[in-house]
Amino acid sequence: MNATIAAQMMGADFLKLRKKRGTLIWALVLALAPVLIFFIVRAAQHSSNAIEHPSAGGLSGYTDAVRLLAMFFGPLAAIMIGTDAGAGDVSAGVFRDLVVTGRSRVALFASRVPAAVGLCWLVIGAGYVLIILGTYLLASGAPTPSGTLLANGLGFSLLSTGAICAVAVGFASLTASRPAALTVLIGWDLVASPILANISSLGSSRKLVLAQAVSHFSPVNLGDRGGRGSTVTMSGATGVIVLAVWLLAFLALGAWRTRTMDA
Amino acid sequence: MSSTAQRAAGDSGDLAIETRGLTKRFGERAAIDGVDLRVPRGCAFGFLGPNGAGKTTMIRTLLGLTHASAGTMHVLGHPVPLERGQALQRVGAIVEEPRFHMHLSGRENLRIVAAARGPETRERIDPALARVGLSDRASEKVKKYSMGMRQRLGVARCLLADPLLLILDEPTNGLDPGGIQEFREMVRAMVEQEGRTVFISSHLLDEVEKTCDAAAIVDRGKVVTQGAMADLAAGGTARHELILGVDDAERALETLKGSELVLEARPSDEGLRVILAGGPQTVAQLNAVLVGAGIGVMRLEPVRHSLEARFLEITSRLDAHVEPREVSA
Repeated sequence: MNATIAAQMMGADFLKLRKKRGTLIWALVLALAPVLIFFIVRAAQHSSNAIEHPSAGGLSGYTDAVRLLAMFFGPLAAIMIGTDAGAGDVSAGVFRDLVVTGRSRVALFASRVPAAVGLCWLVIGAGYVLIILGTYLLASGAPTPSGTLLANGLGFSLLSTGAICAVAVGFASLTASRPAALTVLIGWDLVASPILANISSLGSSRKLVLAQAVSHFSPVNLGDRGGRGSTVTMSGATGVIVLAVWLLAFLALGAWRTRTMDA
Repeated sequence: MSSTAQRAAGDSGDLAIETRGLTKRFGERAAIDGVDLRVPRGCAFGFLGPNGAGKTTMIRTLLGLTHASAGTMHVLGHPVPLERGQALQRVGAIVEEPRFHMHLSGRENLRIVAAARGPETRERIDPALARVGLSDRASEKVKKYSMGMRQRLGVARCLLADPLLLILDEPTNGLDPGGIQEFREMVRAMVEQEGRTVFISSHLLDEVEKTCDAAAIVDRGKVVTQGAMADLAAGGTARHELILGVDDAERALETLKGSELVLEARPSDEGLRVILAGGPQTVAQLNAVLVGAGIGVMRLEPVRHSLEARFLEITSRLDAHVEPREVSA
């Protein structure tokens, strides 16, 4: 398969995803609405009592907003998009029509991943633009993040959501069922991950939790509020390995299932 | 015999599909059981069988949608699954009902498949849509399409491959009589004008009889018989039968039995039933023989063999385990 065909297939998968209005709207709502609400509430608090409540924007507002986007609502948007990409063809019943083209099934799977991550990053990018606007427009004289921090914050947001999006593509391809994959991954992200991270008796095995590995790369202080901050210390190398294992494992499982399933 | 019918009879020796001992098991149950199938190129070939006979499983196995348990298969000369990619490059298929991304337009759905087939395929989207009469509705979402329009879009999707072989699974399901007629004409045009091979799986005997040049009858996972349509309906050999109405049946019978133009002659309720030794062109000679013998001929009617009768005969005998056999002209 040459680069032209690969690009066309990615474009086709991207088309399928971006035209799915329900998924796209909800992903945008998840990426934008919490950040918007956060800045509105903080701005209202600041305007009512500037001494007790710091400005909505500035470095403090930026840090909290990035945490909101990269660790809480962005991953949910990424899971929605990833599961749609992974199980969309099977759910619509068109997977067999793609197989009948003679194209390798692994290629059919592989084109889903960049399409899903690409759309996910566009959605997260929109959320990040909102964060930057809020950070500077609502700074009220407070210190603002440096250009480097802004770049690192964007990179972290994209890494965090891109990783879970790719995992979602693999897992949905493995289950071949979007509702099942969506339920399991949201349950894992919202419930299981924070619980596991907070069970101290699990010790260093908690490093295996994806959110813990991802949070290691955060350029802002995530704290441990909400239970999904960096509660387990690990080296950069460990973080990279855990991240790579999650990605490789789920992408390999998704590719295997796509290659072997009855279409 | 037309060139299409000759190809259907396998004269060309060039096969679009060939399977040997093809078997697909689901646990203990064999959905297809040792199938030897030969589909000649350039004809419309019916794959006929009752519901649950294994038709769709056969198609799914041929297309690599599911793995065969045993046997070999070749599609357009390529061994499958070894050269599946090459084999399917010029194959278009509709398996069961055509399915689409409902949130995309007809044209966008074709773009999805064209992307997987290759860059040159994109140029075929508009001609394919025009061919099936969907150009003016191509920008509408598929969820707004009727069943007939979806069937036509499915055919357009097949045409993206510029197919040498089209495999259509129950293609007239859900079509109204007008749609069925249009579909039949389209299949005939594809075969006769474009030289494509069309493999049609159906349980509708009448449809296969009207559309196809050759057929295989399948039941309980086995191909019971296959061959050119006329031969298949006639029951194994290229029989040409007549019903004769004469003024003196006894003398006519004696005359006919002594004639080398006749294989068999016997009285029946309708008159004398005669099996000719030659083709239909010998009917005039036979008439001349009878008239020459002083026998008045009042009726001379070719017997039209019904595929339906043959189908029911075959499938009702299956309990007695009929060995598969091939018929050809």
